[in-house]
Amino acid sequence: MKQPVEKRTVDMQIIGEWVEPGTRVLDLGCGRGALLTYLQQTKQVTGIGVDMDFAKISACVQRGVTAYQGDMHEFTREFPDGHFDRVICSHTVHELSDPTDVILEALRIGKSVTVGFMNHGYWKNRFDSLLRGRKTRNAVYTTEWFESRPANPLTIADFEHFCQVKKISITRRVHLMGDWQKPCLLFPNLFAGYALYELSR
Amino acid sequence: MSEVKTSPNPSDAVDNGSVGIVVPQDFTSDQPFTFKSGQTIPGFNIRYETYGELNEARDNVILICHALSGNHHCAGRHSPDERKPGWWDNIIGPGKAIDTNKFFVIGTNCIGGCSGSTGPSSIDPTTDRPYGKNFPSLTIHDMVQAQKLLMDHLGVQALHAVIGGSMGGMQATLWAILYPSFVRRLLAMATTAREGAQAIAFNEVGRQAIMQDPDWNQGDYPEEGGPRVGLSIARMMAHITYLSDASMDRKFGRRKRAAVANGDVLNFDIQFEVESYLQYQAQSFINRFDANSYLYITRALDQFDLGHAYGSLEAAFAPVQAETLVVGFTSDWLFPPEQNRDITIALLRAGKRACYAELATDLGHDSFLLESEELYSLVRGFLERPAEAVVDFSI
Repeated sequence: MKQPVEKRTVDMQIIGEWVEPGTRVLDLGCGRGALLTYLQQTKQVTGIGVDMDFAKISACVQRGVTAYQGDMHEFTREFPDGHFDRVICSHTVHELSDPTDVILEALRIGKSVTVGFMNHGYWKNRFDSLLRGRKTRNAVYTTEWFESRPANPLTIADFEHFCQVKKISITRRVHLMGDWQKPCLLFPNLFAGYALYELSR
Repeated sequence: MSEVKTSPNPSDAVDNGSVGIVVPQDFTSDQPFTFKSGQTIPGFNIRYETYGELNEARDNVILICHALSGNHHCAGRHSPDERKPGWWDNIIGPGKAIDTNKFFVIGTNCIGGCSGSTGPSSIDPTTDRPYGKNFPSLTIHDMVQAQKLLMDHLGVQALHAVIGGSMGGMQATLWAILYPSFVRRLLAMATTAREGAQAIAFNEVGRQAIMQDPDWNQGDYPEEGGPRVGLSIARMMAHITYLSDASMDRKFGRRKRAAVANGDVLNFDIQFEVESYLQYQAQSFINRFDANSYLYITRALDQFDLGHAYGSLEAAFAPVQAETLVVGFTSDWLFPPEQNRDITIALLRAGKRACYAELATDLGHDSFLLESEELYSLVRGFLERPAEAVVDFSI
C-alpha cells in the first residue's frame, strides 16, 4: 500500500508549492485533513476543511485541523466574496452533484482556486472502459463499482472546455504522467494520469 | 483564596472508570451579586462538584455547564446506594472521554437554580422568606458571571475547556465571549445562539402550566407545597421536546400497562407505557425542582439571543480566542443542527478556529447524553489535541 501514499504526496507537494505562506485556505472535501495538516506545517496556512463524513471530521478535530461537517454548497454560500486566499478541490470534483456551482462559488469566495483530478482520458483509463469494459481502478481509486460513491468522471479536455465555456481563466496547469509524478508535456488528455489547475475569475 | 479540595478519592471508586463517591461543595460569597438587570442580592451560594486533580499551574480545568433540568452532579455517586450516578457519568471519569486522570473537572450549579445554588427558593435575608417572584430577573450572562466568581475563588488561572449541552452550551459559548483569554477551548453541543420561536413557545406552555396552578400563588408557596400539578405538566411537555418520534416509538411503541393489556379499557387512567413514563418523569422532577426556578430559568433561555445582544453573531464572537467545537445531532428538533451550524459559521466568518461535527442519531435533543464511542472519540480528540497558536483573521 505504499503506492497510493506516494501518489497522494506528489499532488500535495504541487498544491503546496502554489499556496502562499500564511494565507487563508479552504479545502472542499478535506477528508481526514491530510492536505491541510501538510499545508499548516509547511506553509503555516489558516485552513478550514469541509467534508460530509463524521469520522473524517472527527479525525480532523483530533489532528488540529479546523473542519466543518456539512454540504459544501451550503457552506460556501455563507462567506463573502474573496474571503479565502485559496480554495482547493482536490480529488473532489468528480463526486460533486453540481460541479459548476461549486467551482463558481469557490471562485467567488476564493481569490484563486486549485482543482486536482484524475484524468479519465488517460489511455489506460480509456483502455479500462474500451477493452476491459470495466470501471477504472488504480492505486488511489481502488474500489469496485459497487463499493464506490456515485462519480461523474471527467477528462482534461472536459475540464479545459468547462473553463472556456464558463470564462474561467487558467493561471497554472500541471499534467502528470500515469505515475502521477513525471510531468506530461505532450497530448495530456491521452498521456496524463492526473491534472492540477489553478483558476481565477 | 481558599484551599481547593478534590472531592473524589480514587480509593472510593465504586465501579471501574467512575470518579467514585463525590461530595458536593459550596462556594458562599458574602459580596453583593449584581445581575445583568442591575438588581442585586446581598450574597449568594454556588454548589459544585469536582473530579480529578488540579495541576500546579491551575490550568487543567474543565468546566461543565448543565442544561435546564440538570445540576452540578455530573459524575460519580453521592453514596454507594445512590440509584443513578451523575447525569454525565458516561463521559466524565478516569480514562473516559473527559478524562479525570488528566483534567480537573468542575460541575457547577447555576445561580437561579434550585439544587443548592441561590435561587428563587432561597431565603431572602432582608425578609427571611424565600425570594420567590422577588428574585432578580435571570439571564445566561448572570449564570456565567457567578461561575466566574467561583473560578476566581478556586484560584483557577485558565479553563482548558468549558463544555455544555443545550442551556449549558449557551453558558459555555458566553464564557468564551465574556472571558476570551480565560477560555482555551469551547465545546458546545445541541445548543443555539438564539432561542427560537418554537423553543420560546414550549417554554411558555410550561410557564403557563405552572402559573395557572392555583398553588403557584404568585410564586409565594411553602417549601414542600407549590404548583406540583403545573410543574409536572411543564416537565412532561418539555420532556417530549428532548426526545424524538423515533426514539419514543422504539422505547414505548403502543405498549400498554400490564393491567390494561388484555382489553381496551375506555377510561382516562394511564394505559400506555409512554404515559406512565412521562408521569414517572414528572413525579421525580417535582420532588427535586422548584417551580419558580423553572420560570426563571426558562425566561433566561428565552432572553438568549447573542446576535441581537451584540449587533450580529460575528460581532458577538469577535473577542473569542478559544478553539471551538460545536456538535449538532440530526434528530434534535429543539435546537436543530442548523442552529448549531449557525454558531460555527459565524465563528468561522469572524476568523476563529471552529469545528462542526454532526452525529446522526434518532434520540432527539437528549442525544448529547448519548453513550456513543463516536462522540467519545470526537470529544477526547478535541480536548487532548495539542494547543495551537491563536491566529485571528477577522474579516
